[in-house]
Amino acid sequence: MANVTVRPAPLARAGAGRFTRQERLAYKMLAPVLGAILVVVTYPFLLALLQSLQDAAGHEFVGLRNYVNALVNPLLYEALAATGIYASLVLPTEILLGLGFALLVHRTVRNSAWRALLFVMATIPLVLPPIAVGVIARLIYAPGYGVLNHLLIVTGVIRDEINWLGQPATAMPAVASVDIWQWTPFVYLVLFSGLLTVPREEIEAAQVDGASGWDQFWHIELNYLRPLLLLIVFFRLADVLRVFDHVFVLTGGGPGNTTQLLSLYLYRIEFKYFDSGQAAALAVMVLVGVSIAYSLVTRLLPVERR
Amino acid sequence: MRRIKWAPALVIAALLIGACQQGTTGGQKPAKLTIAAVQGNEDAALKAVAPLYEQKTGIKIEIVEFPYDQLFEKLVTTFKANSPTYDLVMMDDPWMPKFGTDESLQPLDSSYGIKRDSDIPDVVYDVGTWPPPRGPVPPAAKGKAAHLIGVTIVGNVEMFMYRSDMGAAPKTWDEVKANADKNKKANFWGYVVRGKATNPIVADFLPILWSFGGDVFDSNWNVTIDNAASLKAVKFLVQDLKAAAPPGSESIDAADRSRLMAIGQAYQSTVWPGEITEIVENATVSQVRGKVSYIPMPAGPSGKGIGMMGNWLLGVPKASPNGQAAADFITWLTSSDTQKTYVDKGGIPARKSILNDAALNQKNPYFSALAKSLDAVPNWRPRTDQWNAVETILGTNLNAALAGLATPEDAVKKAADQIRTLMKGAGY
Repeated sequence: MANVTVRPAPLARAGAGRFTRQERLAYKMLAPVLGAILVVVTYPFLLALLQSLQDAAGHEFVGLRNYVNALVNPLLYEALAATGIYASLVLPTEILLGLGFALLVHRTVRNSAWRALLFVMATIPLVLPPIAVGVIARLIYAPGYGVLNHLLIVTGVIRDEINWLGQPATAMPAVASVDIWQWTPFVYLVLFSGLLTVPREEIEAAQVDGASGWDQFWHIELNYLRPLLLLIVFFRLADVLRVFDHVFVLTGGGPGNTTQLLSLYLYRIEFKYFDSGQAAALAVMVLVGVSIAYSLVTRLLPVERR
Repeated sequence: MRRIKWAPALVIAALLIGACQQGTTGGQKPAKLTIAAVQGNEDAALKAVAPLYEQKTGIKIEIVEFPYDQLFEKLVTTFKANSPTYDLVMMDDPWMPKFGTDESLQPLDSSYGIKRDSDIPDVVYDVGTWPPPRGPVPPAAKGKAAHLIGVTIVGNVEMFMYRSDMGAAPKTWDEVKANADKNKKANFWGYVVRGKATNPIVADFLPILWSFGGDVFDSNWNVTIDNAASLKAVKFLVQDLKAAAPPGSESIDAADRSRLMAIGQAYQSTVWPGEITEIVENATVSQVRGKVSYIPMPAGPSGKGIGMMGNWLLGVPKASPNGQAAADFITWLTSSDTQKTYVDKGGIPARKSILNDAALNQKNPYFSALAKSLDAVPNWRPRTDQWNAVETILGTNLNAALAGLATPEDAVKKAADQIRTLMKGAGY
C-alpha cells in the first residue's frame, strides 16, 4: 500500500485578491463600525487639525501661529488652573462617595426590591439635562432666595447669608457640588455592579479565616473593582473637560475668571472672540493632553487584577 | 432604444433643475417660512400673531426657538455654512455688527423695498442698518453703502424702575444713590446691581458709563474705558451702588433683580421692558403692581441720562430662497394694524402712535417711559464685530471688581489693555 501524504487543503479563496473569504467577511462586518468612526471621529478631527493651522476666518494658512497664540494667552492658564481645582474637588469626592455607597448597599441591603429602588433613584440625576441641573442648583445657591442659606439661617447655623456664588472660596466648591450630586450615582452604579461579580466563595473563605470588613475590601473586592475604577476615572476626566452648562448658569465663569473652566474658555474663544483657528488649536491640544493623561492613569492604575 | 433608456434620468434632472430654479428666485410664494427665534418673552407675541399670517396668506409660519446663547451660536454656524435652513432670523441688536461685517443678511431696502415709516423712530431703523449711519465704523465696513439688514420687532430700551409709592423719581444718579442709602433697611435693598459676569454686568453698566461721560471707545476706536470719567463710573457701580445692594451682586442676573423688585425687597434698579411684562407687572407673581414706576435713565455728571438699546430684529439670511416672502412677513408684522394685536399679546412695540396711546398706557405702564427713551435717542453698544469679545473682557473684569478681587483701577487697566490688544489684532 502506497504511502499517501495528506496535505491540508488551502484556505478557500473565493475570487481574486489576497484575502480569504473569512477575512473578507470580517472586513465587511467591520466596515459599518470603521465607517462610523471615520465619519464621527477621524473626519472632524482632521477638520479641526486643518482649522487649527488656518486664520480665524479659515482663509489663510498660518502654520503654528494659533498654537502659539493659545499658549501665550494668560487666560488659558487661569482656565487650566480652574479646571485642575475643579477636577481635584470632584473626582476624589465622587469616587470615594460612590465607593462608600456601593459597599454600604452591597453589604447591608439584601432585599432585591430595595436594591432595585436604589438603582432607579441613582439613575435619576444621570438622566437630567445638565442645564436643568444648573437651574435647580441656582435655586439652592442663589443670593436672596437660595434654599441652602434659608435652611442654614433657620437652623441657626449662620446668621447672615453666605455669598456662595460671589466669592472664589465658595463659588468653586458650589459649582463642584453640582457635579458631585449628579455623577456620584454613576460611580455607585458601576462599582456596585463590580461588587456583584466578586465570587461569594472568596469572601466566605476570608470570613472563615477571620478577615475583617476592611481586609475583605482591600485584599479581595478592590482587585475586582480596579478595572472599573480605571473606567470611571477615564469617563469622569473626559466629562470634567466638557463641563459647561451648570457653570454657565450658576456663575458665568465668575467671580472674575475663577470658575471659567476650560470648556467655557474654549466656547468663548470660538463664539465670543470668533477665533476658530485658536479654538481648534486648543481643542487639538486638549486631545493630546487627555491622551497623555490617560496613558499616565493607565500606568498608575493597572487594569489587571493582582 | 438608448434614447428610451436615458429618458427617465433626463426627466428627473429636468425636474430637479426646475425645483432649484423655483427655490432661488425668491419671488415665488412658499408654503412656509421658517423663523429662528429666541425662546422667552421676546418671541411670545410673535408666536401669538404668526397664525394670523397663515390665515391671511396661506403661508405657514414655523418658529424654531432657541435659548439666547444657543440662538447666537446657531446663527453663526448657519451663516458660516450658508445654509438655507431659516428664512427669517431673530437677532439681538449687538449681533448686527458681526452679521453685517460677515454680509450674512440680505438688504431689505434695496432688494425688497422696505422703507422707513415716520411712526417709528429713526434710531430703530438705524440700529438695523449696516454700516452704522452714525458713530465709528469698523475698518472692514468703511466706504460700503449702508443698507437696512434688520427691522426691529421688539423695541427694547433699557430704562429705570423705582418704588414710586415710597419716593419721587430720581433725576440724577446722585439722587439714585441718595435714595438707595435712605431706603436701605433690613431685608430691603436700596439698589439692585445686575452683576453676573460678562453680558449681564456690562448691560447694567453701560448706561451709567455713558451718563457719566465715559465710553468704551472714542470716535476713532481708541479704548477709553480707563479714562477718568469711565473710572468714576466703574467706582460708582462697584462701590457706591454696591453698598446699598443685596449680597451676591456678583451672580445676580435680570431674573433675580426683577424678582427682588416683585417681592417687595428692593427699591430701584435698571430694567428691560421684558422684565416688566414678565415679572414686575405680572399679576400672578408680583406684589408691587401699581407701586413701581418706570422712567428713562437718570442723568449723570455729563448732564444726560442715556438709555441703551436692546432691540430684537428680524432679518433675512443671505441663503434664504424666500427673501421676498420673508420681507413681506416683516412688513405685515410691523404694520400699524398688526402691531395693535401684537401689543395685545404682550409684544414690545417701537411705534410712537402705539407707545403714546393713552388706553394702551393704562395697560402697559412702561410705554410712556419707553417712548421718551426712544425720543431721547438711546445709545447702542459699540458697532464693532469684536463686540462679543470686548463685552466678555469688560464683563469679566467688572465682575472681578464688583467681587472685590480687583480694585476698580486695576480692573479697568486690565480690561483696557486686553481690549487694545484685541482691537489691534482685528485691524482697528
